[in-house]
Amino acid sequence: MSTRTPNAEVSEAVVSALLDCLIPAAGNLPSAGNMGLATEVIRLAGGQPRFWGLFTRAIATFNSTNSEFVKLTGDDQDLAIRSFEVDHPDLFGALLDISYIVYYKDPRVHERIGWEGKPPQPDGNVMTPWDESVLDSARKREPFWRRV
Amino acid sequence: MTNKDRTTERDGETVDILVIGAGASGGAASAWLAEAGFDVMCLEQGFWQDASKYASASPDYEFEMMTNWAIDPNVRQRAEDYPVNVSESPVTPVMFNGVGGSTILWSAHTPRFHPSDFRVKTLDGVADDWPITYDELEEYYDLNDEVMGCSGISGDPANPPRSPRQMPPLPIGDDGMRLVNAFEKLGWHWWPSDSYINSQRYGEGRDACNFCGHNHMGCYQRAKSSTDLTYWPRALRSGAVIKTGARVRRITTDAAGRATGADYIDSKGQERHQSARAVIMAANGIGTPRLLLNSASDSHPEGLANSSGLVGKNLMFHPFAMITGVFPEKMNSWRGPLSNFAMSQEFYETDRSRGFVRGYTYQFQRSLGPAWVARGGFTDPIPWGQGHHEELEKRLGSMMGMAVIGEDLPELHNTVDLDPELTDSDGIPAPRIRYTLSQNSRDQLDHAIANAKKVFETAGASDIYVDPMMQQSGWHLMGTARMGNDPAGSVVNRWGQTHDVDNLFIIDGSIFVTGAAVNPTPTIQALALRTADHIVAERADLKGRAR
Repeated sequence: MSTRTPNAEVSEAVVSALLDCLIPAAGNLPSAGNMGLATEVIRLAGGQPRFWGLFTRAIATFNSTNSEFVKLTGDDQDLAIRSFEVDHPDLFGALLDISYIVYYKDPRVHERIGWEGKPPQPDGNVMTPWDESVLDSARKREPFWRRV
Repeated sequence: MTNKDRTTERDGETVDILVIGAGASGGAASAWLAEAGFDVMCLEQGFWQDASKYASASPDYEFEMMTNWAIDPNVRQRAEDYPVNVSESPVTPVMFNGVGGSTILWSAHTPRFHPSDFRVKTLDGVADDWPITYDELEEYYDLNDEVMGCSGISGDPANPPRSPRQMPPLPIGDDGMRLVNAFEKLGWHWWPSDSYINSQRYGEGRDACNFCGHNHMGCYQRAKSSTDLTYWPRALRSGAVIKTGARVRRITTDAAGRATGADYIDSKGQERHQSARAVIMAANGIGTPRLLLNSASDSHPEGLANSSGLVGKNLMFHPFAMITGVFPEKMNSWRGPLSNFAMSQEFYETDRSRGFVRGYTYQFQRSLGPAWVARGGFTDPIPWGQGHHEELEKRLGSMMGMAVIGEDLPELHNTVDLDPELTDSDGIPAPRIRYTLSQNSRDQLDHAIANAKKVFETAGASDIYVDPMMQQSGWHLMGTARMGNDPAGSVVNRWGQTHDVDNLFIIDGSIFVTGAAVNPTPTIQALALRTADHIVAERADLKGRAR
């Protein structure tokens, strides 16, 4: 799938400020914007035309009522986001989704939360093998399906 | 190039059987008929999939899962997808277009119908009986299990005895045992699920599951069965031909109203026609009625095979409720197949004291990775800002779910028809869904939610979340060209042959009379094999030349 080049209508500074509010500092890590994740958010959002359209619309809509967002204090920024969340839940949902996805694929975050960072395949996981004795009790029940 | 610019090219030979759709049923019937010596061609609007490119192999898998590999075609929007107008439905149909069809992105949970599911009118006075019985279908269930490869174990007291499964069950896991123990404390049924996921090596080049947890995203390991890995290699070896990127515009008919083949648009945008002695529709419970309605002609003015007026009527989903529990302990609940390792059918059969007829299945669910958990999984997203990290820590690896699959009864007002404006990228009218949840289905779900809460409380969950009806849950598309003995009250007969057109068959979920309370694919495939067997035995007239 093609990756779109970010365009001028999406300000990295705004995305970064949004990220800082959405995902604050934790442990030894700063907030998501200060981790420098805005660039990756914009890059990844361009990975599908439909999502890119949703994302740019979200940013444009947010900017239309919050042109001074990056200059606000933290509490006022939170208020602005909460208002956007209530007024435009679908657009806000797209912003939140991409923010969480980018944050939780970062190796620094994996280390902090103790997650083994990898795609699910090809490595997979290890599980305790099937043990038929778990059925000891279930097997005692008489058949109860309805005969016709 | 506009449609008007295109000229139709007529493909060379007339084939015996033209199959529309290469998914669960199309693959099964194509293999069976090709092996019996029929000249089979399949038209599939999607393409072959490269397992190494599945979302589960990408570092950006969580983004891919909600965009390019989304289960909802309206979100995925690939060139081979068609849009579906869902503005009048609380349930969104989900599907995949490609060789393998929706078995590419399914969870491969494969329970069977119960005998009672074929007799709901007789037993419970609702809907209608099927014109066939469980016993008539059983041998085809067995055949299908063998080809697809079933992990499981016989002896389930909630179901009739069945043949030994090909492989032992998938592991239950420490997380699964939390739910199992709760069911046993409550004295309620549970059993390892039949699953078309390899618990050990089985089939052609298909490895055992490595418990990556993302089997619904396409299986890199080829452990999850899909018809591109099972039936299609057999079909191709027997001479079947599959044309990918071939979008069917209409089924064509002659002056007498018999099917003559299909007009389609090939992968280069060229209008073409393929002639055939018979046509088999295998395009799912939405795609098939859409095509039949798009195939209206002088001899079939209301749509092909629609003299009953029932094409597109009686749409059934399985409305899903999802109940999620968060446990105090870490259980690594991202390990192992997401949703098909165990089930309960304690409340499957009708008990009128519950206030509704028919019943439901619980399907045990795991959870996935941190971004999925943060985005809510099967619940609401984790709050952003203050408190976010604490909540994620609480839920990650500690969540288990129970999906409720209730039996949705057929109702005439739940329909698939042609949208007056919406079209696909080739200008072909797109389907429109109109669906409302019945009170009986709502009552089932509410009963199931209350009992699921008891399970989670018994299991020691600290928090319980409920989604009373998942929107993106329309996996099971059924009933829109129903089977029956009466041509005035059904679209196909007991063999899947349309009453109106003797050389037109339907083998997907459209033909279901009722939907039971289980995942429908093994039943769809068993019906497809049965129809193919019937054609082999009774329709030598459709075979053009000895092979």
